[in-house]
Amino acid sequence: MSVTLLWWALAALTVAGAVAVIATREMMRMLLGLGAFLLGLAGFYAWYGFELLAVAELFVYVGGVLVLFLFAITSMGRDREGRSMERRLDLGALGISAGMGLVLLVALQSTLPAAPTAVGASVEDTAAALLGPLLPYFELAGVVLLVALVAALAIIGREDAR
Amino acid sequence: MTSLALACVLMSVGLYGLLTRRDIIAVLASIEVMLGGAQLLLAAYSASVTLASAAQGVTLIVLATIAAEAAVGLALLVALVHRGRTRTDQIEEVRG
Amino acid sequence: MNVLREMAYLVVGVPLLIAVVLGLGVRVWGRAAAWIALLGPLLAVAVGASSLEGGASGSVRWLAAGDSVLTLGYHVDGLSAIMLLVVGVVAACVIVFSIGYMHGDRGYVRYFAILSLFTAAMSGLVIAGDLVGLFIGWELVGACSFLLIGFWYEKPAAAEAARKAFMVTRVGDAAMLVGLAVLWRATGTLELSAILGSVGSLAPAVVTTAAVCLLLGAVGKSAQFPLHIWLPDAMEGPTPVSALIHAATMVAAGVFLVARTWPLFEASPEARMVALVLGTITALGAATIALQQTDIKKVLAYSTISQLGFMFAALGVGAWPVAIFHLVTHAAFKALLFLTSGSVIHGSGTQDLREMGGLRSKMPLTAVAWIIGGLALAGIPPLAGFFSKDEVVGSVLAAAPWAGVALLAASLLTGAYVARATRLAFFGPVRGTGEAHESPWTMTVPMAVLAVAAIGLGFAGPSIAAVLGAESEPLSLGLAALAVGLAGAGALGGWLLAAGGGAYENGFPPALTRVWGAARDGYGFDALVNGAIVRPMAALARFTDSVVDRQGIDRVAEGFAGLARGVGEMFARTMTGDGQTYSALLAAGAIILLCITMWLVR
Repeated sequence: MSVTLLWWALAALTVAGAVAVIATREMMRMLLGLGAFLLGLAGFYAWYGFELLAVAELFVYVGGVLVLFLFAITSMGRDREGRSMERRLDLGALGISAGMGLVLLVALQSTLPAAPTAVGASVEDTAAALLGPLLPYFELAGVVLLVALVAALAIIGREDAR
Repeated sequence: MTSLALACVLMSVGLYGLLTRRDIIAVLASIEVMLGGAQLLLAAYSASVTLASAAQGVTLIVLATIAAEAAVGLALLVALVHRGRTRTDQIEEVRG
Repeated sequence: MNVLREMAYLVVGVPLLIAVVLGLGVRVWGRAAAWIALLGPLLAVAVGASSLEGGASGSVRWLAAGDSVLTLGYHVDGLSAIMLLVVGVVAACVIVFSIGYMHGDRGYVRYFAILSLFTAAMSGLVIAGDLVGLFIGWELVGACSFLLIGFWYEKPAAAEAARKAFMVTRVGDAAMLVGLAVLWRATGTLELSAILGSVGSLAPAVVTTAAVCLLLGAVGKSAQFPLHIWLPDAMEGPTPVSALIHAATMVAAGVFLVARTWPLFEASPEARMVALVLGTITALGAATIALQQTDIKKVLAYSTISQLGFMFAALGVGAWPVAIFHLVTHAAFKALLFLTSGSVIHGSGTQDLREMGGLRSKMPLTAVAWIIGGLALAGIPPLAGFFSKDEVVGSVLAAAPWAGVALLAASLLTGAYVARATRLAFFGPVRGTGEAHESPWTMTVPMAVLAVAAIGLGFAGPSIAAVLGAESEPLSLGLAALAVGLAGAGALGGWLLAAGGGAYENGFPPALTRVWGAARDGYGFDALVNGAIVRPMAALARFTDSVVDRQGIDRVAEGFAGLARGVGEMFARTMTGDGQTYSALLAAGAIILLCITMWLVR
């Protein structure tokens, strides 16, 4: 599908959110930016026809990770909310980031096809793939999640024990 | 091509935030941005090398992994905050 | 006997082994060390005696480079046998004497170890069949001399004297090495028989160069002008060492070398002239200096230099068998005189002639031995020195009258300084503490042995000449009478000089006193060498150390270290402890790797 106005709108949303994350001085604005970014990503997945992915993104990230951030901020105590964060302009980091982006662009430009194809995939087919050839990785992902859960509990638990 | 450019831009932005921001939460958020850009890249182009369904499946798995990482990162954040440290220059254990 | 003759190399091997054994067990061996060390010289005497008619030879391939081969071997002929006898007898006497002299010394075993090493080296030198072996022995005796002069190394004077001896002889040795190189280049071998046989086919310039270079080596070793300055200082060593090394054997090695390589000198009149001139100057000059000395050992040191000058003069006119004859007799009576002086020093506690006097009654045996040696040195018949010195002066006078006259003058002075020293030490009123005593049998017996030799060796002249393959000339009575007369006159003069107890400012015109005073200090030659050579070298060494070494080379080395440190600090600065810095470095590295990969797969 050709690049349409929708695509550009989604792009603008995503980029605006990303910039807000890195540039704003207020914590709430940063969270809003993160949210916009994640929403934009979900939109992109939908544009490509990956319905399952879009929905998963919304559930897991916007509804999970973003809320997690919010909980973390609020659990820090009252003086943390609305507190202004520093930002600074670091030319070295700027150079490195720009360089990374450019290198990736140039490197992948030759190995990847020119335009993405939004073929879309049905849920049934995805399920068949996940439980079929991708089964090991699927299971591993489950293990990773379990480990992360235990780790988070361990880190927090030690806190409560003190 | 534009899609590729977009993903690269997002990753650059996230990287800059990772390297620059002083508050740990901001760093974590920047990491999310960067990884989000990577996911986008994966999603956009994996369909050209494999079945679309497999492409979606792979991206899904990656999504789950990154979410797990975010959770652990936030747990660490909470642990640090309880010790009163909220800025990156307050983490000194790896100085050497 | 035949066995001994065939295994002549044992004269080197046995003392060497003894030296190692004694050296390794310095704390273990006690008084037995001397008797063990005695084996070496006795073996040398045995081998020498059995090889007088001609001995064994043998050699072994040592180094080979392409077509050229260096061999190491021995070749015992009449000359070697005579030298072995000299070395053996004198060394044996010295070792027995040292039992008494070095009694109670802290380095007792070390002393005999080095003496044994010396015996090995000197024997090796005289039986060497090629210049390689000779040079090895040459250098080794120099090293032993260094060790023994500086035996009491805590004394700074002794250590300095040892260094001086080594360095001055080194000058000669360097020249000798050049001579060896010239001969090697010209003949392709260093085997003596080969070289000496091919002298006729070499260019005259080559022969003269080689001969003069070897001669310079001899000049250094035998303390001839201008390389004589080390021998008086070498008296810092124990007196038996002076007897063995600096009177009888090592200093004679120079004369031996010329005799050994005689065909070279026969073919080079220039080299002979050099020998003659240097020898004559030395003989006369050293005699004048000897007359002025107050230290009994220094008198004998300058006397040795002077007598060696006689030998060199004889070599210079071509009479090398005569020179060897004088070498043999000189070894006997000079060693005797040194041992006697050692007995005097041991018994009376002083080396200064002005503090001695009247020792004749306190040390009768020593006195008799000294007088015998002194008469031999002065050339009074029928003692040995008379015969050999007479032949020397006769040969020189016949070939170069000016030199002969100088030698006659030197003979006169010889008588003078002998008589003076004798009177100052043994006669007259007692000037010292008066507590002198005679020495034990270990010291008097060797003196007696040498005294017998000093008396009898004169009559061995014809036998020695026969062994060396030369004819002996009959004595010229006129010359003999002249020589004896001069010696006697000199003795009288010396006797009178000693009247004032060693101080002769009384009765002398001031001008004369000034001249004699200059003589006492060796005519300032030492100071000349010191100022012209030693001090500039020391300044150069200091300059090299402070400028070239400290500022130049050390700076470079420290610069490298500083560079390493700087680079390390630079990298240490990356360990900030800040995770974001690490991430930045990580990302930068990843970018670089990506670029490289892309470039490689383009």
